[in-house]
This record gives sequence, structure tokens and C-alpha cells, in this order.
Amino acid sequence: MIVPRRVALRSLFALAVTAFTGGALGRVASRPEPGGTRDPHAFDEVYRGRRLLGFSGPGGEPTVLVDGWPLHLMRCADGGYVTPIDHYESCPTPLAATRAAVDELGTARLSPLAGAHGVPTDPTGGSPRGVHA
Amino acid sequence: MVYTRKNQRDLTGAERRKFVAAVLELKRTGAYDRFVRTHIDHYTADGEGRRRIAHMTPSFLPWHRKFLLEFETALRRIDPTVSVPYWDWTRDNSPASSIWREDFMGGNGRRADLQVMTGPFAHSAGRWTITQSMTDTRYLTRDFGRPRDPIALPTAAQLDEVMRERVYDAAPWNSTSATGFRNALEGWASGRGNDRFRIHNRVHRWVGGLMLGGGSVNDPVFWLHHAFVDLVWSRWQQRNPGAAYLPAEPPPLGDAQYRKVVARHEPMAPWGVTPVSMFDHSRIYRYA
Repeated sequence: MIVPRRVALRSLFALAVTAFTGGALGRVASRPEPGGTRDPHAFDEVYRGRRLLGFSGPGGEPTVLVDGWPLHLMRCADGGYVTPIDHYESCPTPLAATRAAVDELGTARLSPLAGAHGVPTDPTGGSPRGVHA
Repeated sequence: MVYTRKNQRDLTGAERRKFVAAVLELKRTGAYDRFVRTHIDHYTADGEGRRRIAHMTPSFLPWHRKFLLEFETALRRIDPTVSVPYWDWTRDNSPASSIWREDFMGGNGRRADLQVMTGPFAHSAGRWTITQSMTDTRYLTRDFGRPRDPIALPTAAQLDEVMRERVYDAAPWNSTSATGFRNALEGWASGRGNDRFRIHNRVHRWVGGLMLGGGSVNDPVFWLHHAFVDLVWSRWQQRNPGAAYLPAEPPPLGDAQYRKVVARHEPMAPWGVTPVSMFDHSRIYRYA
């Protein structure tokens, strides 16, 4: 009866996570900007004990901080996002990609490499500044 | 002199020890961490409007072939009898496989923090501290099969399907290419759940921990995984001798992939070699 037990455990885990974070998940930020328009990339929640803060960057791109540390959201051709923590799962939204990264983080905090944005100055495709693309 | 890359399961105890010793020596000198950083610095996703050289792109295979060769050359400067073994994950597909033994790659991460506690690359063994990583964690991590949402390694049948592709790559030359050998092997797919992770990508997901992210080269099994990916490409080339690298020419102005991908005769950073120059490895190494 391995499979039913595993399914049951997973359901229990999901319930526990929902119970623990449900309140925070229900409070996805909708803080209005000073001008009255809502930032389309805004979220502010606690997920698995981590503070996830989303907002629009200087170019209007989605930007996210995990416990204050920047996490690079890498846009994919399918419209989704991957992160430096999980390069292989394209998630449909910045928030989903951030949660997926937190799922893998364990107790670690992000390093500066996880948040650096490269500048494409090398025509052959590298990032000579050594920043993460 | 052409040397041989062997299946890791066929290595003698002495061969395993020599490979591990050369890797540890490369780590001690700092050269290993420069390889980690090279891989980090060349990961560009395909929706970012930037040139892609290593992933989600036609040059995924030649870029990693050159990357492996550079690593292998560095190892062979330390010990000329060493080559990079390959891990056939369709066959050695369990946490109990000999690749994970104490005298080779070491085992799974422990449950509490995914820290690898066995083998030469365990942080506690004193010779493997992570310095180039996406987190502040200094030890190697693994999470075989992702127990919270289990995933299996690719099967031989799934790999056979990849081998049936007849064209090297296809427009739009990225993670959404629906046909072509390159993306079938790299493993980007739409769909739901674990079906989205295929072949090469799925192996990174299965090992988990550091292998899942930008710092995947920190896990030495990265090289054994990519040696097998390279072997699969090599076998495919033998079956399809007329299938050249695509695209042959750079996508023109007006094409969505203009200046985003590397054509057959264009240089790849950081080495400046072209995809076509990486096509034939038969004068350098062979697979046993």
C-alpha cells in the first residue's frame, strides 16, 4: 500500500502548508501606487516562512525579493519564468516561480549571484562582467 | 592519441579513485570553481531578448561538448590517464546504483537539509566547499527523485524516441521547438506535471539540490550526466551522417531569433569555437 500512503501523506502535507500559509496567501498585495494605479507585479506574502515581495522594476519587468534578497526572474519563450534556483521548471507567473524557488531553498538564503542581472555586452553570448544572465 | 570515455559502471576501483583524485585536485587549485562560474555566466533564458549560447538554444550540444572537453583537458593535465566517464541513467536509474557509492559520487542528501554526507564530495570530508552558488549553502545538496512529488529518471524507451528525430534543430530554435533532435534531448516540453521535464532536464530535476539550479556544475555528477548527453548526440550523428548543425545561417533581421542564437559558423563564448568545429570528436575521444 505504498502509493495510497504516499498520496495520503502528500495530502496531509498540502493541508498543513495551506493551514500554515493560507492567511498570508490570501493577502496577496494590492497596494495602490501613489498615483492610484495598482502595480501589476505587486505581491507581498509569507510562504514557508519566507517574505516574498514582488514589484515592477525600473523597466516595468517583474522583480522579486525573498527575505530582502533579489531573485532573478528569467523570462522564457513559453511566457513563463525560471529562476537561478530551479532552472528547469517554467512557472506561469513570477509568484509561482518564486514559490518554486522557495520550495527548493530549504533553510538557505539567496546569494548575490541569484539576483544579479547580466548586461549583454559580449556579442558571442557571454556575460563578461561575470553576472548571472 | 584518441582516448576513451567509459561507462562509469565499468570503471575499475583504481579508475574511480584516479578520477575522484583529479577532480579533487582541480577543486583545490580553484580551477573547478571557475568551471562552475563559466556555466553560471552563460545561462540565458529564451524570453529575455538576449543571445543564448548554452541552454534553450541550438548550440546547447556543441557548447557543452566544448565545456566538457575543457574540463577533461584540465583533468588530464593532472593525470593523463583520466577521462570523463558517462552515466547511463536509463540503466543505472536508482539511488542504489553503484555510481552513488562512497568511493565515487557519494549518495543522496540527508532529509533534514539535503546535505550529502557520504563520499569524497561531502562537505564533511573536508575537500568540497561550494563557493559559486545561488545560495549561501557551502555543502553539496541532492534530493534524489524529489520524494515530495516523485519523478523518475528517463527510460530507454523515451531516449529511443529522441533518437528517431531526423533533423538537428528547428525554428524557433528555443525551448518551444516542437521538433528537432536538440530540444528533444535537452528536454523542454509543454504539458502538465512531470511530463514537462524530459531527458536532460529531467535528470537535473531527479538529482535535485544543486543540480537543479544555476550552480549545477558544483555537483561532479554534472560531468557524468553531460558525458552521456554527449554520447547520445554522438550516436545520433553516426545514425544521421547528413544531418548538419542548424541553423546554417544567422536568422535575418526581422526574425524573432535575430542575434539570439549561434549559427553553424559563428563563435561561441567564452572560447570562440564554432558549432561546426565541435561536430566531429573522433580524433579526440571515443565512447566505449
